[in-house]
Order: sequence, then C-alpha cells, then structure tokens
Amino acid sequence: MREQPLKEVTQLIHAIKMGLVEGSYSITNKTLDIFKYIIMSKSWDSADALMQIVRAQSRILQAALPQETVTSNIARRILKLTREEFELLQAKVQHFADDSQASLSLHKLVTQTSESCVSVDYSVPQQGLREALLDHLQEVETELETSSENISVQAEEHIHSSEIILTLGHSRSVENFLKRAIKKRQFLTIIVAECAPACRGHNLAATLAQEKNVEIIVIPDASIFAMMSRINKVIIGTHSVLANGGLRAACGANTVALAAKHYSVPVIVLAPMYKLSPLHLCEQDAFNMVGCAEDVIAYDSMPARDAKVYSPMFDYVAPELVTLFISNAGGHAPSYVYRLLSELYHPDDLEL
Amino acid sequence: MPQVTKPNEEFDVVKYFLQLLEDDKDMSSGIAAIKTLLMILEKKQFGTIHILHTTMREAVAAMRNTDLSIAAIVSAGELFCRFITLSLDDKHMEECRQIMLNRGKIFLTKLQNSRQVISQQAQRFISDGCRILTHSRSRVVLKALIAASQNKKTFHVFVTQGGIGNSGEEMVQDLQAAGIDCTLILDSATGYVMESVDFVMVGAEAIVESGGIINRIGSYTMGLCAREMKKPFYVLSESFKFSRLYPLNQRDLPNEYKYSRKHLNDISKVHPLVDYTPPAYITLLFTDLGILTPSAVSDELIKLYM
Repeated sequence: MREQPLKEVTQLIHAIKMGLVEGSYSITNKTLDIFKYIIMSKSWDSADALMQIVRAQSRILQAALPQETVTSNIARRILKLTREEFELLQAKVQHFADDSQASLSLHKLVTQTSESCVSVDYSVPQQGLREALLDHLQEVETELETSSENISVQAEEHIHSSEIILTLGHSRSVENFLKRAIKKRQFLTIIVAECAPACRGHNLAATLAQEKNVEIIVIPDASIFAMMSRINKVIIGTHSVLANGGLRAACGANTVALAAKHYSVPVIVLAPMYKLSPLHLCEQDAFNMVGCAEDVIAYDSMPARDAKVYSPMFDYVAPELVTLFISNAGGHAPSYVYRLLSELYHPDDLEL
Repeated sequence: MPQVTKPNEEFDVVKYFLQLLEDDKDMSSGIAAIKTLLMILEKKQFGTIHILHTTMREAVAAMRNTDLSIAAIVSAGELFCRFITLSLDDKHMEECRQIMLNRGKIFLTKLQNSRQVISQQAQRFISDGCRILTHSRSRVVLKALIAASQNKKTFHVFVTQGGIGNSGEEMVQDLQAAGIDCTLILDSATGYVMESVDFVMVGAEAIVESGGIINRIGSYTMGLCAREMKKPFYVLSESFKFSRLYPLNQRDLPNEYKYSRKHLNDISKVHPLVDYTPPAYITLLFTDLGILTPSAVSDELIKLYM
C-alpha cells in the first residue's frame, strides 16, 4: 500500500524543487516544523503509531529528494527522541533501572539480563508522551537555531593572525566563521576559489570584502593547486557528512582536499550536527546530481552540438583528506564520526 | 548433540568442544568454546565465584591446546569469563548461577544470529556487476555472498588459495554450489588481479584492539596492495572476536597464534599460519554491532572492560 504524503510534505517538496526553499538550514527547519505538526496532531495514540507516521513521511521525502539527507537525519533524530522519552516514561511507571545507552556494544551484549526486556514494546499507549516530546523538540529547535553561532565562536581557536586561508564557494557557516575571525584577528588574507560554474565564491568575496582589516582574493578553480603552497589552512563547508567521516561537498572540494594533502595543509570542515548522515557512499543510488549544463557550455554554441556536457553538483571527499570537523558540539576527528552517529541516532532507525 | 555426561563423571572439556565442532561444520570455534563453557556452568557445582572463575580459565586453557584457530577461542573465552566477573548483587551462589546461565543463553542466541546481521549489512555494498576479491575461506563472507546472490545480484568473486591446505578450493566449491561466478587464483596473483577488482572482502580470525585484524597468512599483502591501488578493504567479522591484543608489528603476535602446537619448540624452520593487518589498511569493519571504522574497535573494548 503506497503511503500517502501529508499536504505539508507535498508543499515542502514542491518548494524545494522549485528553489523557493534552499540551503540545508531552511530545509531542516521546515522539515522539523512538519514533524512538530505531526506530533501535535491527534492522529497517533502510541509511540509505535507516531514512529510509523514519521517513517512513512520521511521515506516520501527521501524518495522525492534523494540528495537532501537532512530530512532523513531530522526524522531519525525524532525517532530516537520518541524512543528515549517513551522508555523514560515507562521506567518511571515500572521502576526499571535506567538503561540509557540504546546503542549496541559488547558491554550491552554481555550484561543483558532476563529481567530487562530484550525489545521494548512501543505500541503501549503512554500518558504524557506528547508533552514530553514537544518539550524536547523545543531543545532541538534551539540547537538548530544556534548551530551557526556555536560554530563561529570557535573561530578564534583555529584561526590566528597573519594567516592565509583558502575557502571554496559560498557556505553560510564559513561566512559567519570567517567574519568572526576577521573581528578577532589581524592581518588575515582570505583566498576564495570561485567554484564554477555557479561562481558563488564571488558572493562570499563581496560580502567579506566589506569587512575592515582583511584582504580578499578571488581565484579561479584552476589555480587552487598553484596557490596551495602558500596557504596556511583550508576551511570549507559541506553538504553532508557520511558515516565513515567522508563528505558530500560542493563540486571542487575534492580538488581542494587533494591539493591540501599534497602540501600538508590542514583541511577544516564546518558541519553542524544536522548534516551528519548515517549513510555510506555506496549505499546511495543517487549520490550525485547533475546541474544545468548551460553554465558550462552555452546550448547554441558550436561544441554543444557534438559534446556531452555534465555539471555534477557534488564531490566525494575521502575521510583521510579531512583534518578536523567543527560542529556546534565542538571539534572532532573524522574517525570519531561513528561515535557521534551512535549518540544521535538509534541503530534500528538506520533503515527508515 | 554430544552425549550428556552423567553428573559424577569427569566432564571432558576438550572432547565436548571437539565433538561440537565435528557435529556442525558451520559453527565458529569461538561459539563452540562459549557453548562448552556454558555446559560446564550447567554441569558442575561451584562453591564460590572464585572456583568458578578458575575452572573457566582452566577450560579455556584446555581448549587452547587443541590445534584449532586459537584466536577466536581466546577472545570468546575472555568475553565469557568477563561477564561472569561483572558484578552480581549479593546473592546466593545458586541464584548467581541461574542468572549467569540465563545471561549466557541470551548471549549465545545473540551471537549465533551475528552472521545473519553482518550479511545483512554487507548487502548494501555488493552491487550488480561488481568484482570482489576474497582471501581463502571465511564462513561469514560466504554467507554474505550467498545472500547477495539470492537477492538476484550478479557478481564475480576472485578467491585466493590461502596458503597451505585447500581452503581456497573449498570456498570456490561452496560458491559454485550457490551459483556464484568465481575464480581461484594463486596468492601471488593478488597484485595482478587487484586492478581489476572493485573491492576486497575478507573475514578475520581476531580483531585486535588497534582495529587491525589477524587473519590467514596473505591478508596483510592483500591489504597493502589494496591500499596502493586505492580499493576499499572490508572485513566481515563477529563481535566476539574482539581481542585485547595490541600488536605493533608482525613479530608482536604471540607464537601460539602463528604456529601450530607441534612446531612451537623450533619456529625457525616453519611458516606462520596467520598475519596481522594494521588498521591503516582497513576501510571498514562489518560487525553485528554495526559498520565500524577501525578506530571504533578500541572504543568498544574499553566500554566492555572498563
């Protein structure tokens, strides 16, 4: 039986496809609003029913927008929240020992006694679940709103005076991060690679050039390798972070990362927690997406008659090329991503 | 099922252990070790936990003396003994014993299911038309490949001979019986074939604390080649194989892991049976605890032994 999308979900998908809602932050916000609406509605009476609805809607969102993993990430967050709140309330009612770590581990395997239920029955109706969820959801919303700020306050730890920094394209997190660094440090030089064909690096350069006390240089993508020997640090944003610590970032990020590896320049990736996805590279049928080829070669030009033109939107960057992830919860090594994932999401929710 | 001994007969650990493995060829030696320890718990009477603990240790030592894959026996035995020493509230010996028996049975059920879980996770990584390289014979990898073939995927498997013995040939026979295209290659052909494969998938005899693996000799070479040719190197293994060793190089592996018992007196003239692949050469570990990066292994062990 095909799942029926909610009206709000169809509207959101339409808005994203038309480009009315863009950027991971806006998409996450709107998706969170939809789930909040679902929680507040009267269409569910037990934790299990709620989880079914959330799963169904997020599967629809995933099928319509396979690259926008933030929708599934938020859905998994909510599922984990639901499980936690349910178990907390159950524990209060039945006075069980608090078994908070839901994640699998050798320790858990070994200490499972026959008294604690091996699997929790979520279909039991539970009083107060709705209120508890809405409370907790408020925290998630606040975390979302302050994520950008929490990342930029870490700027002064990582950027020092007189440094030359390279960035690629235009990322909202990077913009705020660099603005803060400019305020707190002197004599910075920021080199912005334009990131063709959209050339959004120009926007970032224009915004940053308005700040005092900083030198902004725009370079074409072809010069990235040539300039890399003079760079002290590379700071980029990303579209999403994969389960092995790799990135799905804007096309061109792999060039920057490989050049940085060659010259042993640290690569710092700014990624708020909502971008962390538990998927691996090869699990995704639709990892990459092609954009408009018109920007690469005009439709009515001579070469366009015979050439095939692709303009991929994303790049995969291997975890070995990334030095540090900075998220709203602090800095982490790429090898630590698995731990963050086990804390954010429940293992049963990996397959929605 | 082996004969259940009469209560007053001396329970022969090694005989029961070997009988278990004889009856079910598909059982891992680690699982057989745990079943044996569980049987001891059931059959014998213990006055104190200390005696129980000592008896378990002696049983593990006895099983080590058989010439089977010692790594799995040691780590499974350690894990079992570990959970016995985990604090039980002040209860009578009999209650303790019942609790331990219950825990042990749940533990065993979970472990027996682990190959299924691992095989499930590996399905997403095996795509149609891919070419896989594997080393010698691993029952976990076999299960994963058979499951993929039952999911209507076509792929080709290269299997190395795996040194002395005909383990590679057995693997090829099992794969062909399941209708999977496969080729048996020499161990020395690993470098030659590496450019034509999409990824490497091997099992493990033990996973050490650094996140590296101990596996049939030749795995290290395969890991080195895979790294050089930038091919993913996946390891499929159950979680009870996590071991507390931390070798820094090949020589650090204990001799009893590398050589069979009869050669331990003079090892200068014999070849080792296993080698150590450092974590830097491993891309991902597929375990029943999830898909882990090598750095996650020590985390798991710390959580258990802390």
